Amino acid sequence: MQQKTGLGQYLYQSLASMKLSVFIFLTLAACSLVGTLLPQGITEHELHTLYSPGVARIVDYLGLNDLYHTGWFRFLLFLLTLNLVICTLQRLPKTFKQLKQRDETITPDKLTKFAYHYEIQSPLPRDQVESTISSIVSHEFGMIRKSQDSEAFAGVVEKGRWSRWMVYVVHLSVLLILIGALMGSIFGFKGYMNIAEGGTSRDVRLYRGDNTVTLPFEVRCNDFQVSFYDTGAPKEYRSDLTIIDDGKDVLSQPIIVNDPLSYDGVTLYQSSYGAILKRAEVEFRNADTDKTHTMTLPFGEAVTIPGTSDRVQIVDYQQNMAQFGPAVGIALLKEGQEPKGSWILVNMPQFHGNKIENYQVKVIKTEDGYYTGLQVKKDPGVWVVYAGFIAMLLGIGLTFYTSHRKLWIWAGPAKPGKNSTRIIVAGRTNKNPIAFEKDFNELRERLENDLKLQSVKG
Amino acid sequence: MNSSLLLSITTFAYLVCALFYLAGIIFRYRPLLVSGGFVGLGALLIQTAGILLRWKESYALGYGHAPLSNLYESLVFAAWAIMLIYLIFEFRTKQRALGVFPALFSFLAMAYASFSPQVDSKIQPLVPALKSNWLIAHVIACFLGYAAFAVAAGVSILYLVRKSSTANPHPAGVLALIPEPRQLDEFNYQLILFGFLWLSLGIITGSVWANSAWGSYWSWDPKETWSLITWLIYAALLHSRSVQGWRGRKVAWLSLLGFVCVLFTYFGVNFLLSGLHSYGTQ
Repeated sequence: MQQKTGLGQYLYQSLASMKLSVFIFLTLAACSLVGTLLPQGITEHELHTLYSPGVARIVDYLGLNDLYHTGWFRFLLFLLTLNLVICTLQRLPKTFKQLKQRDETITPDKLTKFAYHYEIQSPLPRDQVESTISSIVSHEFGMIRKSQDSEAFAGVVEKGRWSRWMVYVVHLSVLLILIGALMGSIFGFKGYMNIAEGGTSRDVRLYRGDNTVTLPFEVRCNDFQVSFYDTGAPKEYRSDLTIIDDGKDVLSQPIIVNDPLSYDGVTLYQSSYGAILKRAEVEFRNADTDKTHTMTLPFGEAVTIPGTSDRVQIVDYQQNMAQFGPAVGIALLKEGQEPKGSWILVNMPQFHGNKIENYQVKVIKTEDGYYTGLQVKKDPGVWVVYAGFIAMLLGIGLTFYTSHRKLWIWAGPAKPGKNSTRIIVAGRTNKNPIAFEKDFNELRERLENDLKLQSVKG
Repeated sequence: MNSSLLLSITTFAYLVCALFYLAGIIFRYRPLLVSGGFVGLGALLIQTAGILLRWKESYALGYGHAPLSNLYESLVFAAWAIMLIYLIFEFRTKQRALGVFPALFSFLAMAYASFSPQVDSKIQPLVPALKSNWLIAHVIACFLGYAAFAVAAGVSILYLVRKSSTANPHPAGVLALIPEPRQLDEFNYQLILFGFLWLSLGIITGSVWANSAWGSYWSWDPKETWSLITWLIYAALLHSRSVQGWRGRKVAWLSLLGFVCVLFTYFGVNFLLSGLHSYGTQ
């Protein structure tokens, strides 16, 4: 990497800079903000009714009506990923080196240069000082690693070394989440299917694009129920579903909002519902013969009018047509003729339009049912995303609660030939310096008190 | 005795608490600050009882859900969380002079919940989308995050005021009891790191919940997007501390910007934008 030409080197250095990270964070935030202010995922038609032609062109060109899926927004995410990877690659070897370096020469000159350090003078001999310091420090920090090559007592003690890795765990977690999201968008799909009670389907309409996915199994809706609170607010939506695989019922399970069904990597969620007509009792009066027949017509099934070859079929239903109440769309199929149809208003039997050809039609009774609206999703990347979530929480949590603290200790003769000892303690932390300073000074007090106490005794 | 009486007392107590802290700083008299802490603690305990009682009352009404389901209940919980985090912070750092803003924020949240005609304090049944165990985890995590950011914003304001009042290390007057900027900067960082953890947990629980309810862990819903914007601002802040010379003033301003985003995520999205969290306006 060091051998690169000027521009390459410059690019690499820029991508490794923390300033760029901050810049990308703020840019992503600003762009996401724009997306929340403009309506997203709107159609071409809505686009032109919402904006003037000039503005519409800009919005369309920049993709501001579907901002989070545009190429340039994805490029920003890619840039973030690149920055994160390069930052990590550049800093990881330094952390390795820092943590690998266990043996170091400890001299008084070096220790007095630390931001955190203090000196203590004690009349006690070196050996006694050593045992006192060792017992106090190892109680607080852990075992002291003594340097062998020194005449004086010198050593290092540290705590929370692994805390230095946590920032990489957080970075890895972001990477995992982005990779999982990418896997989902490549190998997964998301759409919906509406199934009438008693009906079966295997086709999923996708939200994005104009496509349909055919499931490798069929879904049957046995029943749909909606219940309400006394206040009129909805209480529960429930669909009883059966999965049919290879012609056999393999799984029957009710689903409600927040409790979906999963089969073969595909998950079905309760998402909406609507009313449909199950069957209707309809009276047909033949104006030519004046004969009247009353028949029950199941939705979508053709039934022959007795004594004729004419067949009738309910093809459509509206709960409230043009404010005239429910209307049933009925088709009349006469042999050798084009089908004819008409909307029959249920609540207005006298309506002049309630007829098809020579038949006067009256809907006597309707039996309503529901269709259930299911959201259907397949996302093989979701577990990678979840792994990222866990890693992120672990990483941030441990970053918050731990720090890498290191103490250097040196104790040697204060002056050649004398029996008193000079002690220097230096410390460093990678986080929370205020708390460290407090602990560092408390340690000093304890050391001084203990040494004083012993010299009085001795 | 009912929950609304206890919560009314709480509202008043937070105002008293804020006034004690303010008077303590103005008159440079520590016992006033200590009293502020005790009033805050008392208010917190009364409010805890009020929240628990409201929970019980919802069972008596036959709805039976945690009081975390609409704007009123979330405001009450926000006030509770701000005071809780502040008091823990005060206890751990032994700094008593930073309580004005947290107490004021708690009071404002309670006052808004109680007196605004926009906020309905009735206990309502849960709509199907909210019937999930994730609700409690999601709301608690988000609001602990918001609360930590609120306390951090208070510290940041004091930092900026303290910093602008000359370079005098021992200022007299109103600022006499405020800790030195270096400490405020560190407190700000610690609080934001704490809030960042909870905000991340809040976003993640919301995401996992959305995946189990709607089959999508991320759908760029305005609330989601705004929580991400907030997360990005604080991520920028945490990183900017590692950039040479970006500590101090810039971090304090970023912290305030982050808190503005928190407020917008909480209120702005509910009132100005529509989406999955629209029941938050009730």
